[in-house]
Amino acid sequence: MMALLKTYAQGHGPLYGLQTPTLAKGGVDFNAAAMSLATKDDQSFMLRYIWSYGVTEDLQLNITTPTMINRLSDSPRTRGNSNMPANGDIEASVWYRFFSNAFGVGKRFESTAILSVSTPTEDTRGGINVSNSIHGAISTGYASRTWYAWVGGGYQYYFEEADDQLGDLPYASLVIGYRPNIFMGDYPKPDWRVFVESLAEFPGASMNEGQISPIDQRGKKVMIGPSFLGLYGAWGISFGALFPVYQDVVQGPQERYRLSMNISYWL
Amino acid sequence: MKKLGIIVVLSIISFSTAMAQLVKVDQEVFGMDCAPCAYGLERGLKKMDGLQSVKVSLNDGKAYLKLAADNDLTLQKIQKEVKNNGFSARNAVVTLNGELVKKDNEWSISVNGETFKISSDTPDDILAKLKSGRIKLKGWVEDKEDDELNSKWNIRITEI
Repeated sequence: MMALLKTYAQGHGPLYGLQTPTLAKGGVDFNAAAMSLATKDDQSFMLRYIWSYGVTEDLQLNITTPTMINRLSDSPRTRGNSNMPANGDIEASVWYRFFSNAFGVGKRFESTAILSVSTPTEDTRGGINVSNSIHGAISTGYASRTWYAWVGGGYQYYFEEADDQLGDLPYASLVIGYRPNIFMGDYPKPDWRVFVESLAEFPGASMNEGQISPIDQRGKKVMIGPSFLGLYGAWGISFGALFPVYQDVVQGPQERYRLSMNISYWL
Repeated sequence: MKKLGIIVVLSIISFSTAMAQLVKVDQEVFGMDCAPCAYGLERGLKKMDGLQSVKVSLNDGKAYLKLAADNDLTLQKIQKEVKNNGFSARNAVVTLNGELVKKDNEWSISVNGETFKISSDTPDDILAKLKSGRIKLKGWVEDKEDDELNSKWNIRITEI
């Protein structure tokens, strides 16, 4: 069974929600993340690593691999972040920032599209044979020296595997960020900001032996929580949590919280 | 003796050309909001040959560049590097050395293949002081859009 968690790994945006920034042309970024998801009965732990490379200032390639420490025996299906698969998948993704309007000092609007392919590191997930999947998302946002906001939505589709098929996963995220005046010190002083992140997930039904799975593990959820991001030179650290404010889980585990911490280094 | 004269003349011309260069550039950068953004831009700019020092300010939204003697940097190269980092390079305050020429009643100065046309909104008292020949000047280069980087600029002189 899979554990699942999430975080983003770009390093200077939100922790859970979709975001827009891409690396500089020729830029390389490494992220290491520790993540946990707690249900009523169990708690998962996972480490995840992401390498990112900026082909151009608007086009970025990423590859991410997991180290599963503890998998949930009955894991909710989730994704909800821009750069990492929710489960123990290996994923390659391309980000394309198709719109950018820098209109002032520290201010810009931009929109980014994400396309990724994942391959699982396990054979079954929740009793369903798990296959490769594709994921697409789009997000748009505003950044300034004081305020940030991103809104986005995505969709993950799992291919059929031996008469089984995991249900698809539409999701959406909304993030508001703020940097207080006390953290307005100029570069190279440390730079801190706080986010309020929200995430809504609407997983579809899985197919088991060609039929809709009798065990309905769909669980519509809305989760909200804070995250914090600190940046200093080439380093970034972010940490945060999400808590469910709405759960419509027919069967399967009720979530209690998700924790995540991410360390970034820009090479 | 004639050959010696030619060598001297050529040396003077080449010395004059070599001395035409940017001295200092305060480049306005739009869209840069975070420490890694500034770090990446600073590192990218430092990779360019011909720089003496670079300082990036998030709060000012500017990159301050002092250029080394005998550099062959251009404003276009600097703005291209800003763009490669995902930001928008806009106006710049430029100090440069070069040969001021007047053609068709317009003043211009060429530096490393770039042409800075002296803007007509340069203060009259400064315009009145201009004369052909070597000059060091400081001015404001306006760049409202950076989609098309080019090698021809308008400069409003603020100091000579």
